[in-house]
Amino acid sequence: MKFTLSWLSTFVSIDGLDAAQLADRLTMLGLEVEAVEELYQGLDGILTARVTGVRPHPDADRLTLCDVDTGAETVQVVCGAPNVRAGLVTAIALPGTTLPGGIKIRKAKVRGQQSLGMLCSARELGLGDDHSGIIELDPDIAPGRSLVEALDLHDTMIEIDLTPNRPDCASVLGIAREVAGFTGAPLRQPVTDVPVLRSEGADFRVTIREPALCPRYAARRLSGVRVGPSPWWLQRQLLAVGMRPINNIVDVTNFVMLEYGQPLHAFDFDRLEGGEIVVRLPGDEERSFTTLDGVERTLLPDMLMICDARRPVAVAGVMGGLDSEVTEGTTEILLEAACFDPVSIRRTARRLNLPSEASYRFERGVDPDLATRAMERAVQLMAQVAGAHVQPAGIDEYPGRREPLHLELRVRRVNDLLGVELSSSRIAAYLRSIEFTVDDESRDMLRVTVPGFRIDIEREVDLVEEIARLVGYNEIPVTRPRISMEYPQRNELRILRRQVGEILTAQGFFEAINYSFTAEKHHDLMGLAADDPRRSVTRLLNPLTEDQAVMRSMLLPGLLENIRRNINFQRPDIRLFEIGKIFLQKKEGEQPEERFQVCAVMSGSRYPGARPLYFSGLETDFFDVKGAVENLLAALRVRRGEGGVDLVVAAEQVQPYSDSDLAMQLVAGGREIGRIGRLKRKVARGFGVKQEVYFFELDLEDLVSLPRQAREFRPLPRYPSVRRDIALVVPDAVPAGDLLQAIHAQKEKFVESADIFDVYRGRPIAEDMKSVALTVTYRSPEQTLDDETVDRIHQKIVNSLMATFGARYREGME
Amino acid sequence: MEAELQQLREEALAALEKITSGEDLEPFRVKYLGRKGGLIVNLMRRLGKVPKEDRPRLGQLANTIKKEVQQRFEEKKETLLAAPEAVHVEVDRSLPGRSLPFGRLHPVTQVMEEICSIFEGMGFAVAEGPDVETDHYNFEALNIPRHHPARDMHDTFYVTDSILLRTHTSPMQARIMEKQEPPLRYIAPGKVYRCDSDITHTPMFHQVEGFLVDRIVSFADLKGVLTSFIHRMFSDDLAVRFRPSFFPFTEPSAEVDIACVICGGSGCRVCKRTGWLEILGAGLIDPAVLSMVGYDPDRYSGFAFGLGVERIAMLKYGIDDIRLYYENDLRFLAQF
Repeated sequence: MKFTLSWLSTFVSIDGLDAAQLADRLTMLGLEVEAVEELYQGLDGILTARVTGVRPHPDADRLTLCDVDTGAETVQVVCGAPNVRAGLVTAIALPGTTLPGGIKIRKAKVRGQQSLGMLCSARELGLGDDHSGIIELDPDIAPGRSLVEALDLHDTMIEIDLTPNRPDCASVLGIAREVAGFTGAPLRQPVTDVPVLRSEGADFRVTIREPALCPRYAARRLSGVRVGPSPWWLQRQLLAVGMRPINNIVDVTNFVMLEYGQPLHAFDFDRLEGGEIVVRLPGDEERSFTTLDGVERTLLPDMLMICDARRPVAVAGVMGGLDSEVTEGTTEILLEAACFDPVSIRRTARRLNLPSEASYRFERGVDPDLATRAMERAVQLMAQVAGAHVQPAGIDEYPGRREPLHLELRVRRVNDLLGVELSSSRIAAYLRSIEFTVDDESRDMLRVTVPGFRIDIEREVDLVEEIARLVGYNEIPVTRPRISMEYPQRNELRILRRQVGEILTAQGFFEAINYSFTAEKHHDLMGLAADDPRRSVTRLLNPLTEDQAVMRSMLLPGLLENIRRNINFQRPDIRLFEIGKIFLQKKEGEQPEERFQVCAVMSGSRYPGARPLYFSGLETDFFDVKGAVENLLAALRVRRGEGGVDLVVAAEQVQPYSDSDLAMQLVAGGREIGRIGRLKRKVARGFGVKQEVYFFELDLEDLVSLPRQAREFRPLPRYPSVRRDIALVVPDAVPAGDLLQAIHAQKEKFVESADIFDVYRGRPIAEDMKSVALTVTYRSPEQTLDDETVDRIHQKIVNSLMATFGARYREGME
Repeated sequence: MEAELQQLREEALAALEKITSGEDLEPFRVKYLGRKGGLIVNLMRRLGKVPKEDRPRLGQLANTIKKEVQQRFEEKKETLLAAPEAVHVEVDRSLPGRSLPFGRLHPVTQVMEEICSIFEGMGFAVAEGPDVETDHYNFEALNIPRHHPARDMHDTFYVTDSILLRTHTSPMQARIMEKQEPPLRYIAPGKVYRCDSDITHTPMFHQVEGFLVDRIVSFADLKGVLTSFIHRMFSDDLAVRFRPSFFPFTEPSAEVDIACVICGGSGCRVCKRTGWLEILGAGLIDPAVLSMVGYDPDRYSGFAFGLGVERIAMLKYGIDDIRLYYENDLRFLAQF
């Protein structure tokens, strides 16, 4: 909602308040000021001028040489405007002046002729849209005056970001009422002296077929109208609030709508068949309608229409029709002031995709009592600016007349909810300041009558809000709730997510957050099979772009796009992870299953960003990503093996995007809960990535339910450990890790740990064999182990390994 | 006996004097000071056989000698075994240190965690709900019926006619209240979605919703909790103002502004020259919302608030383009 201070001050005195103060007060009353704009800036050097003589330019058909009286002197100006003529009073920018658009005027020669200034159009002066000719001012204005002075161009426009609950303030009157409320100045309503509407003797009929959708329809006839441009004072207010002047009749309907908040519509009465208005739904054959913007609209059966005897002539409360529009030849007018059901208007405006100033107000709610008052104001202005002859006869159908609303307001309730201590008389005074009626003002309870224009006030709590607003939110004390102590429940999944984030960042991973919606084509790029459950996506009905059309069912593609972006910006060494939800549409028409997962990618250098002085030439490989997962599981103290998580080589069910040579699964309870791997090159290239990408994916909803190792103190060993190394030659096909598992599987009681410290292939080892060097640590909790005991156990282990894996000692080593 | 003792002393000290290498220390210790079979100990054992009247004096002497030898032995050990000083090598200490890289959490996560921890410190529990929400919880249960103009404030992504991407985290209000009785203190962090995209809007962003319900909770209490939050989040002396606004699920409704952290309140581009920055929306929970979950609004009242995480991060860190959050550019992520 926009208004000017000059307009506002016709309704209420704002003396003593500057624009900034006014804006601040309004904002603090809940009418948030979005912009305060000084109007007509940059017109300081522009003068009024009178054209005293014109003659053709000798060398240019379209140019005119003008003698222009600038008050001080008469100068020659070359002008190209078609409307320039002797006697015209207009505006001149003399050499040295800068126009609002930034153009600097200089002495010039135009086709050889001296031009000492420029005659300006309304658009060049920022006074309107018109650029068809130079501006035409009141002929009585003397030349040589400052244009700003002559037209009284001192004004400020204020724009309010109106909340949906305050349609009453979609009007200058509504704003003025709020101002009057806090300044105490009286509200000045415009006085009209038009004859009051009389329902006898009207030469037309109004029928409301849908009273539920149209609580009131008032209409009035005007004759002998001369349609033409509006006077400057009217145009100026419309322009200042960003509305284009059309003609005097349409401008008055807009002007009064802005003043009162009541949308009005003027029909060309001669185009209304049968001299009749019917408010009804469209008939079966009435499927299209051309609105006055020239667009043909498709009508639906529940769109309320204003019709004449035969056909629709306006979309009720939204926009008039082209056929019955007021045009230059119009002399007979039917003026409509009606009220419509907000939901109906809103549905219609939405479905026609046709928001208008009228629908904006109707869908938020217009006080039905306004109709006739606004109409009288409009009729008076039309008589004034268009010479309309006013007939007292008119029609006012008001099936939806409402009784004033009375509410009971408990003083205790106000004070409890706001945390204040107000007396009933103080509360009553606040409410009266904004035109509420308070009778029956006892100590505990007030009986409040809601003024008709406050259609948003329906309940006691609505009054409480009014009081809060009027007291001032910042005057309400600051306290803290007194609430019982309760210990909030732990949210295990959230804790896990936080832990995972911390563990991964400690390992050099940066956290990424990608949009939850993604491109469906990612599934093709990833190579997912047609029946892959991740292809059952949750699809948006109204995505912004195809790239954001479905909810993601995996996190990896987003990270791959992040890799590409970072490579493009010369950051090819990447460790990124994301913790987020994936969405699996289990059943059409229902909410999808949402699961938190973590996904991480590694690419480029093993130690991204680390100094080449110390860490050069190390590329990420499979064991980096495997190690990251092992670290993650260890740091989370997730139990490994039986009852916990196993890392197993993926034999079957390798993901289609994963290199089968380097794929592992995280398995818990026989189910895959995550996977580790290297991206297939083809898939990486599909995402525009030309380097190797290692990744892991892990379902956190699965992980959170797995047992963790208890944090349990074990006494520090009191006796020393003994280490023994073995180097065994085993067939190349034997996984080295199996040797370790076999050692543990023997459950020898003094074996504390076992590890691999070297794997070697090549001479002198036979071709299909490899050497694996192991170290086993022995310790007893009860004594220092002697060599004899250790040797005995160690030999047992070695023998077992040799038997199980066909291993033998590596030559040259014992 | 006394002479023997003196002689042993001389002998031991002389032997000690001759030792030049650490290897000889242990045999010396065993020979003279050993607990089992050491010469001094052996001699002391024989003290029992000397006349009773000499025993204290000789015992004291033996002890003195033992202590002396012990001390001299330790001194010798120290001189022999002290680590030799490292050979002097010039180290170029201007070279950078050797460090393994570390990552960081996304700034949105960091700020979200900070917000949550402040409220958790005030006793709020954390609840999370679905991103793909029903129209019922996102709108209807929050007093926003279909065709309410307030739906204009939410450019909604729809999945079906009745399923949508939540436009705020407020649905958790109804979801929790219909399952539990007051007193309630919850915050609900999460992703929210609006079909809007430009320099100040991304179609996905993060919100933290919070609410508190109990007997007689007032607007003054709301001001107290939110003022404490803002002071903890930004700084203790930051000016805060509450101004009337409208949300269908709260009444009275408020928007909360802080003095512009960019210009300090004098007016700049970021605060649109007002000196104030809108930071969150709040209000007392509308009685209609309470009634819908079966609470008696005359018995219980409460407040709710919602704040945008990206916006707070932008203000805290001076980020000027919201789209940077979701490009996951390492040059951006590494800054926080």
